[in-house]
Amino acid sequence: MGNLTIGCYPGLVGSMTYDFALKLADAAATKGHKVSIWFSGNATGSVKANQKHLKDYSTGEKYLKALLEKGVEICTCEACTVARGVKKDEGIPGIQWNAMHWYLAKIYSADRVLLIGGE
Amino acid sequence: MKLGVFVSDFALTTDTLERFKADKLGIILVQNGVYHATTKENGKASSLLDKTPNLYALSEDIQIRGMKDADVDKRVKVVNYGDVVDLIFNEYDKIAWL
Repeated sequence: MGNLTIGCYPGLVGSMTYDFALKLADAAATKGHKVSIWFSGNATGSVKANQKHLKDYSTGEKYLKALLEKGVEICTCEACTVARGVKKDEGIPGIQWNAMHWYLAKIYSADRVLLIGGE
Repeated sequence: MKLGVFVSDFALTTDTLERFKADKLGIILVQNGVYHATTKENGKASSLLDKTPNLYALSEDIQIRGMKDADVDKRVKVVNYGDVVDLIFNEYDKIAWL
């Protein structure tokens, strides 16, 4: 099995890019691959717990929890996250908070890296 | 090097693609990029489809835009997310996102 690291940079919650990153991660994890996701920029807003799930509105929490249960490692850029007013104790349990070196280490050990940016 | 490139927008990214030097180039059309596989202007398909014989389009992104897999240019293989994962690991050494 392979090791895939996905860098999800701009991805606003509800955006096509964000949804694509999560669905690709889910498909890879389902096939038994090891998957890591790094959130940066506006994607970090999605790690806040207790998101209200409105009908036909894409939110991250439910999907993120399902990915964590499948063994996907998810880490949010701490600086980006706190800059958006989200405190660590408000985050979804299981999601890691760290700095860019976490992402660099994952890139270094991954078989494939997909950096999704620019929307 | 075998390079797989995700094209996510319905804009001609040929300049960027032509700068890539790959022994094997694959283009995976996702999001609004799937319009390259379904839309003809003045009867002509997107010139992006002439860049390589290795063309793929994500079924979910085709259908969510109200089109059918049957609307896709015959040169393009329709794939699902699981197929994309297999392309990433089995067909290409490096992957990029445009």
